[in-house]
Amino acid sequence: MSAENAVIAAAAPRRSFGRFALKLRVSGVVAFLVILGAIFAVLSPQFLNAQNLSAIVSNAAILSIVAAAQAVVLITRNLDVSVGSIMGFAAYLTADFAAQHQGIGPILILMPMIIGGMLGALNGLLVAYGKVSPLIATLGTMSIYRGLTYLYARGQEVTSNMLPRWMLETVDLRVGGFPVLVILAVVVVAILGAFLRFFPVGRRIYAVGSNPVASAYFGLRTERIVLLAYVICGVLCGLAGFLYAARVGTVTVILASGWELTSLAAAVVGGVSVTGGSGLVAGAALGAVVLATIDNGLVLLRVPEFWRMFIQGSAIVGAATADVIIGAQIRKSLQSRRRGTI
Amino acid sequence: MTDVSPSPALRVEGITKTYGSSRALSDVSFEVAKGRVHALVGENGAGKSTLVKIVTGIIGADHGKVFLGGKPVRFHNPVDARRAGLAAVYQDPKLFPHLDVAENITMGNAPVGRFGMLDRKQMYALSQAAFDELGVSLDPHALTAGLSVAEFQFVEIARAIISDLQLLILDEPTSALTPAEVEKLFRIVRDLRDQGKSVMLITHRLEELDLIADDVTILRDGAHVGTYPVSEVTRADIVQKMVGRPLDSLFAQRTPGNAGAEALRVEGLGLAGQFSDVSFSIRAGEIVGMAGLVGSGRSEIAQSCFGMTPPSRGEVYLNGKRVKPRSPRQMLGLGLAYLPEDRDAQGLIMAESIMANVTLPIVGELARLGVLDTAAQRAVAEEALATYDVRATGIDQIVSLLSGGNRQKVAFARWLATKPSVLILDEPTHGIDVGSKAQVHHIIARLADTGLAILVISSDLPEVLAISDRILVIAEGELVDDIEAATATQETIMMAATRSTGETVNVG
Repeated sequence: MSAENAVIAAAAPRRSFGRFALKLRVSGVVAFLVILGAIFAVLSPQFLNAQNLSAIVSNAAILSIVAAAQAVVLITRNLDVSVGSIMGFAAYLTADFAAQHQGIGPILILMPMIIGGMLGALNGLLVAYGKVSPLIATLGTMSIYRGLTYLYARGQEVTSNMLPRWMLETVDLRVGGFPVLVILAVVVVAILGAFLRFFPVGRRIYAVGSNPVASAYFGLRTERIVLLAYVICGVLCGLAGFLYAARVGTVTVILASGWELTSLAAAVVGGVSVTGGSGLVAGAALGAVVLATIDNGLVLLRVPEFWRMFIQGSAIVGAATADVIIGAQIRKSLQSRRRGTI
Repeated sequence: MTDVSPSPALRVEGITKTYGSSRALSDVSFEVAKGRVHALVGENGAGKSTLVKIVTGIIGADHGKVFLGGKPVRFHNPVDARRAGLAAVYQDPKLFPHLDVAENITMGNAPVGRFGMLDRKQMYALSQAAFDELGVSLDPHALTAGLSVAEFQFVEIARAIISDLQLLILDEPTSALTPAEVEKLFRIVRDLRDQGKSVMLITHRLEELDLIADDVTILRDGAHVGTYPVSEVTRADIVQKMVGRPLDSLFAQRTPGNAGAEALRVEGLGLAGQFSDVSFSIRAGEIVGMAGLVGSGRSEIAQSCFGMTPPSRGEVYLNGKRVKPRSPRQMLGLGLAYLPEDRDAQGLIMAESIMANVTLPIVGELARLGVLDTAAQRAVAEEALATYDVRATGIDQIVSLLSGGNRQKVAFARWLATKPSVLILDEPTHGIDVGSKAQVHHIIARLADTGLAILVISSDLPEVLAISDRILVIAEGELVDDIEAATATQETIMMAATRSTGETVNVG
């Protein structure tokens, strides 16, 4: 009996340790953000003023939606490198449509989301049912979607004077002092986070990425769940593309190219594991804020633009490496605990 | 034999399953009675796991029927089986490490409330109730990643009992548990039995039969040997029935040659969580067999000596000199070669030619000024083809097109090209046909005669007995016996490997 109790007693700290280690990744992002902010604040007096901080979160808003979308796919142990192309394709078609139908109202916002959802569905079909490696499949569709945008545009672009005025004005609104884009991003991420946390399907998205083998034993329809993740990602990318178009005013065929890397960087920096099953969309959104903060700080410090790519890449590599090291540490500590009980 | 007693919890009838040319199960029929604990025993490869997979719908049988509670069933996946009241808990439980315990227990049929949202309260309550029923103190909120193997199993059992459970299958549940945890598991099993549920327990530890089982079914080489009430058979009977096949006449008994100087000696070798305090030595020209159950740590010991997983404790001496195994590259350089069990995945490059495979470990030596000497490469490969009697169209044939036995010979040639003084072979005849087996044995004996020290890990007891000079028996990460092959029998080895020592065995 006492031996039995000893086993239970030994189990208690182990448990909280596992949870602690995973939470550490999210709280780590917050801590990193604070340290980063402190450094920039010391180096540049303008950094902490309200206008600048507002600019940072505005810049982060659209990326945080895309990072959250990317996170959903990453959680299923997959990847979507076509997010930038989905944004571009959805944005261009929608902007062109709006230019030709001047009277159209806010219902327009559904169009990019439907387009995005369809493109996401194609990705999902390739990966989940076609069993094509997610990297290769979406690398291919990245090129296809962007290529289609070029073909459709025929060298044209949609300029701001061709777009409905409400579209351009709404994104610059402020509600209660907060930029509407930021509010929208918070709402989208919160809804997505709640969906993943509080609905059975959401937990299955985590389950599939956590242990694909077990998913089959549990009778989860893995393919359907992965397809759903890609569709969600596509819908949100469509929305983000639309917001981006409205924000910059001029919609060109290269809109949001390069965002595949940026969204991946934000998600990974935000503690979403590339090996699946772990991470929060809120973390990915925070990761977007981290990247926006770095961008902003570098501008204030007059660091050449070229450093951005370097730093973005380093952030991905650094965060992914940290993940591996933390993972190894967790395994090691669990193993030594287990050995202790044998 | 037919009576009017209630229909058994499980009945299998004429189950047959073949993989290619090898027969995993042939015409197996037996019953698991209601409200009893039924043990399923047999050597490695006897077909126990295949049977479980068929019953739970993971794989389909070629022939035969499965009846659950008297009704014929044919499950297409484990989920169907679970709905019908049959749940299996595997040796390595399949759970979601990133989710919490309650989420794992309810995954797939989670309670939902308003708007189709998860009813988390209900989820935790259900899980807690299951744990209370099992008498396990586990926190449903805990993250699954941090649990021990025993706790994993408790979660799986909790998962099984929240639906209508009729038969629980436990596949070697105790192999990774501490004695206290085993005690707890058995208490749960007895409780389930007392509630009228049936439990099928697959185990290697025969001493567990007396503790927990009511009936025992013995499988050997895919065939049903018999089903008996545990009270009516002795452990020695069971062991004999498990290994009872005649010594294969193809296995020529080895006549030990003259062993030379000590080639490999390990002292107090240990690796955290894998094995501990292993000491043995092998002399030049000697063939030492290493027996033990799958998962007992045999391969891990060999891989440690080879530097794949460097040992955390102990010393290794190679030809009298102390070495610290750090990497396979280093150990190959020092003259120790290891031929892995899964030769297709670890030992050979399937898409490459015989020549490329044979010369891969020595390409550095075959190069002149950094450029590969193709002629020398061809010569080495041709020689290997002849020496090891590889049946192939030529040295350019792609390895994946060869038969299992011939692949094994190529793998031999490959590692021997490094001219080692110590050779470790991990299950060298696993999955190859009887004819090739004899050839491989012949090659092993010949290599020993040329002065190589050879360690052969094998689960095939007649093979170990036939080809070894001396036999090491490993059980649960420890060296439990070191015996002369001439005085050993399958029974004594099996007894040691299942830790049934201290029991007197009467073998005819």
